[in-house]
Amino acid sequence: MPNKLIDIVGVSKSYGDNLVLDDLNLYIRENEFLTLLGPSGCGKTTLLRILGGFENPDSGKVIFDGKDITSLAPNKRQLNTVFQKYALFTHMTIAENIAFGLKIKGKSKSYIDDKIHYALKLVNLEGYQNRYPDSLSGGQQQRIAIARAIVNEPKVLLLDEPLGALDLKLRQDMQYELIRLKNELGITFIYVTHDQEEALTMSDTIVVMNQGYIQQIGTPEDIYNEPENAFVADFIGDSNIFNAIMVRDKLVNIVGAEFPCVDTGFGTNKPVDAVIRPEDIDLVKPEEGTLKGVVTHLIFKGVHYEMEVLANNYEWLVHSTDMFPVGTEVGIHVDPFDIQIMKKPESEDEEAVGIEE
Amino acid sequence: MKNSKRLLAGPYLFWAVSFIIIPLIMIFYYGLTDNDGKFTWMNLAKITTPENLKALGLALLLAFVSTVICLVLAYPLAMILAGRNVNQSSFVVLIFILPMWMNFLLRTLAWQNLLEKNGVINSVLHFFGLPSWNVINTPTAIILGMVYNFLPFMVLPIYNVLVKIDKDVISAARDLGAGNIQTFTKIILPLSVPGIISGITMVFVPALTTFVISNLLGGSKILLIGNVIEQEFQQGSNWHVGSGLSLVLMIFIIASMALIAKYDKDGEGTAF
Amino acid sequence: MKKKLQNLYLLLIVIFLYAPIMTLMVLSFNSSRTRAKWGGFTGKWYVSLFQDEAIMSTLYNTLIIALLSALIATVIGTLASIGIQSMNRKFRTFMLGVTNIPMLNADIVTGVSMMLLFIAFRMTMGFTTILIAHITFNIPYVILSVMPKLKQTNRRTYEAALDLGASPIYAFFKVVFPDILPGILSGFLLAFTMSLDDFVITHFTKGPGIDTLSTKIYSEVRKGIRPEIYALSTLMFVTVLFLLFLVNLKPEKEVHEKNGTIRKPSRARHTMRLVVTRVVPALLVIVITAGGFFYNSKTKISGSEKVIVYNWGEYLDPDVLDIFEEETGIQVVYEEYETNEIMYPKVQSGAISYDVVCPSDYMIQRMIENDLLDEINWDNVPNIKNIGQTYMDQSKAFDPENKYSVPYCWGTVGILYNKTMVDEPIDSWSVLWDPKYKDSILMQDSVRDAFGVTLKYLGYSLNSTDLDELNEAKNLLIKQKPLVQAYVVDQVRDKMIGNEAAIGVIYSGEAIYTQKENPNLEYVIPKEGSNIWIDSWVIPKNAEHKENAEKFINFLCRPDIALKNFEYITYSTPNEAARELIEDESIRNSKIAFPDASELSGCETFKFLGDKNDAVYNELWREVKSK
Repeated sequence: MPNKLIDIVGVSKSYGDNLVLDDLNLYIRENEFLTLLGPSGCGKTTLLRILGGFENPDSGKVIFDGKDITSLAPNKRQLNTVFQKYALFTHMTIAENIAFGLKIKGKSKSYIDDKIHYALKLVNLEGYQNRYPDSLSGGQQQRIAIARAIVNEPKVLLLDEPLGALDLKLRQDMQYELIRLKNELGITFIYVTHDQEEALTMSDTIVVMNQGYIQQIGTPEDIYNEPENAFVADFIGDSNIFNAIMVRDKLVNIVGAEFPCVDTGFGTNKPVDAVIRPEDIDLVKPEEGTLKGVVTHLIFKGVHYEMEVLANNYEWLVHSTDMFPVGTEVGIHVDPFDIQIMKKPESEDEEAVGIEE
Repeated sequence: MKNSKRLLAGPYLFWAVSFIIIPLIMIFYYGLTDNDGKFTWMNLAKITTPENLKALGLALLLAFVSTVICLVLAYPLAMILAGRNVNQSSFVVLIFILPMWMNFLLRTLAWQNLLEKNGVINSVLHFFGLPSWNVINTPTAIILGMVYNFLPFMVLPIYNVLVKIDKDVISAARDLGAGNIQTFTKIILPLSVPGIISGITMVFVPALTTFVISNLLGGSKILLIGNVIEQEFQQGSNWHVGSGLSLVLMIFIIASMALIAKYDKDGEGTAF
Repeated sequence: MKKKLQNLYLLLIVIFLYAPIMTLMVLSFNSSRTRAKWGGFTGKWYVSLFQDEAIMSTLYNTLIIALLSALIATVIGTLASIGIQSMNRKFRTFMLGVTNIPMLNADIVTGVSMMLLFIAFRMTMGFTTILIAHITFNIPYVILSVMPKLKQTNRRTYEAALDLGASPIYAFFKVVFPDILPGILSGFLLAFTMSLDDFVITHFTKGPGIDTLSTKIYSEVRKGIRPEIYALSTLMFVTVLFLLFLVNLKPEKEVHEKNGTIRKPSRARHTMRLVVTRVVPALLVIVITAGGFFYNSKTKISGSEKVIVYNWGEYLDPDVLDIFEEETGIQVVYEEYETNEIMYPKVQSGAISYDVVCPSDYMIQRMIENDLLDEINWDNVPNIKNIGQTYMDQSKAFDPENKYSVPYCWGTVGILYNKTMVDEPIDSWSVLWDPKYKDSILMQDSVRDAFGVTLKYLGYSLNSTDLDELNEAKNLLIKQKPLVQAYVVDQVRDKMIGNEAAIGVIYSGEAIYTQKENPNLEYVIPKEGSNIWIDSWVIPKNAEHKENAEKFINFLCRPDIALKNFEYITYSTPNEAARELIEDESIRNSKIAFPDASELSGCETFKFLGDKNDAVYNELWREVKSK
């Protein structure tokens, strides 16, 4: 495992009465693509701005490469930011935009020219140096913003919802572009988004945040397959989340039916949350399932069918490549390892505190 | 649909032609004819008499100095205001518009009271045992009057441009290594040029052409080009010469319109 | 630290902006009539303000013009913005360019150009012309406020409304209008404010008998502003401050709860805001309009019978006009001017047909020579008998057969000096060139007076047309300029009262008033001789109400009326019968008001020297002024 590059220790921040970050701890490794994922207002952008030096935390420290940079000015930090709306300098040409940081560092003209050339090539926008930002499309502006940041050879690139303003196709293209860039540059990316698909596609590590707390840290697979609480489960992908009762180890009662599962250690007859992904539900013949139900909705989604099945008065969301017309009686079967059991949070605010690594 | 919408500008077009364009043509007509209605350049040439040249030169000088002072005072002011809470912007505008509800002449006259030999300011200076400040009836007093009257027209356009600058753009500059000074000179200043230009023209033109301020605060000892024109119309009864001199003034006005057209294409730098 | 510096800077600027306003507010409580002296605290101006019909009707003129021009400009401007928005680029650039003209053009050029237009099309200068001018310079403010909002509105919402079956007009008022309303309102407010504050353009486009606050104040500047005006301005300012404070009351801070719901501001709050932002301004508008009509009806007792009077500033007791209107039923349209030279072109141009004017001697001669005056029918002016024969004889200098003019006031030009600042006896004009009094000398700001004094000092006639003599005088005046504190007309009065200067050239009529206010002042007619002048009533050829004019002149010659005027303006009256009525013996026999013939031996009356020589005088004077 590579070394820790950034260590965020006990950072808190509030605006007036509004607590945005609460005693947050997190470290980021060298050469990692780390994504801060969460709904708007979860504190992810504030955390990024603290890293960038645009905000000072109320308490806590930011350690970068072994040095405390908590109160270091943004222009003194070895990281660069790609802003949400690109924040290009409209009064400068593309070349001048890219050269901005280098000129301030007093680099030679030939060095700067080389860098501009290199950066434009990297983002596939050669020949644009004399254009003005206003004459570029959103995606092009986005790539210029990245070029402007990376020519400074930062150790870390901070990206604040950089693809938010782009359309779907462009967004997908840019995702691959970003992965390629990261691999070519070999630096750390810290990426902020509320789009789970982006997070799952690009990241090495995902940090799911809500209301100033970290909910879960893990690889995309961990996060998707083993959400640690209902929030994460709900936020990442589609899920069926049930109020369930843990009958005993390896047996859970979901809406009145008992399902075998693999989880242990929740005690007996304890209320828990049970999560089942829609694609993990197998629709079988009525008599073969753990539970019987009736298909109430059916939509063709391309790669699969999306169905809703009414069973024991609950709507079950099911993805399947097999089609069952509306009205069909079906049985519901779930493999034990596809049921994820989670402890109920004590209170809403305390949701999953202490899940730090 | 589109065509019928355009017709809504009809009344204005009529109005503008009747009361903006035709009057300007009248000035041209009077400025380029003599008493008998014959064409002449003489009225324009009047500007070259030593007295008129001096009045114009002095007006240019005073207007220039007061514009510079306005700019120097207004820019930091606009920056401070723009840095404050955003939803106070209407309050900011009000602070500068509010004095206009006290009549312009009265406000300027009040400066007489403040600046006179035995005026308020000198009384205060005396109280502290400081030497008195003899400024009334000097060009300095006129400049002060100009700065006082026209400062809002410098502050507001600059302020309006500054608040529109995306905070992220400034963050981006800092992020790319620019210090406070570099951020200012390379980003904030260039981006606020439309406001500055608009402010400059909105201060310079009225300062150049005023006759009231120079009358009230200059003790009628100092003739500016505005005074000359006013006298031609109101006293000398030579409307032709007055129009001719007005035409000369319009050169400066056209120049400022050209400046605005060049630097403020999108009309960002409006005062209000 | 940085924040503190910023706050300090803000504070200084606010002080700079508001110091004059505070000064005016303080002056509104000054019991002395002159601004130069603090006479103790009083609230009486706030009372007399509302009894002063002239000021109140001026106020309503101002407000009505501001309101109407802002309203009309808002309608035209808003329509224009929508039209311009849907134009193609070329036409739009043109329209916006035209819009920029009144914004960027010098006020003086705009005003002058409109004046030329109105005169060329023979429009009567008055309420309408001011209104047109104000609308013209107001429209751009509206357009510039509305256009940006219009740009921000989403075209799609308008199209969506059409798509949902709305008619274009309905769609506009339901969808577009609410979006641009803030722009329209701020445009309106701005236009209103600009109209209220305008002086220059009004100055050039106004006619007789109508004044806005600005022009009223300007005409009073030379005499000293009446304290009621300070009181009025203070009231207006405080009202607006209060209104703005109300409008800007922030709605109760919307509280974002943790669960993301927003607590709505309470209903009472909402109603309160509605009252403040809608009802109060609406009420204000109603009050203004109603008040305007009220005062209008009051001033226009009978629309048909009127007399248009054009007089010097502060040269008549306003009560006298009321009495005249009451007794005769003739409405007086009253306008003032500051100098003969300003009056002359106005009468000559014929743009306004005045019925009765009060020029000075030499100007009357000029008007006679240029055939601008009508003979007075003496049968209609029996009170002429009250005027002393001496003055009728003196008038023959400019009106040889006593056919055109009725003497109204007379006096001399002399030196007013402050005994505490001047310790030597003063009896010569030479003191005006004494370097000892540098920056303490106030000189008259009019050609003939300035040259007259100098020519007399040099021992020449003050009607000299000899170029050498005039040049000598000019050079002397240039030499004097560094010593002069200011060139003023009637402001000498205030400045001398306020101890601002040691020596001032002044009309004898002002001397009596100033001495009353400041006993240290002394008036003297220098031994070299001076100017003795007469201001007389005349009737211009183009007068439309000649008989009313004669009634008016006859009325002014009545002893009781002449006395009333004398007491108000303190200028010497040629009305012997009125002089007999003066109760205060010291004034009746005052050497200043009624000097002996011996003192006047060296004095001359100004004569009209012909247009050519006038031009020479003007040219030389401008040389002096621009040095």
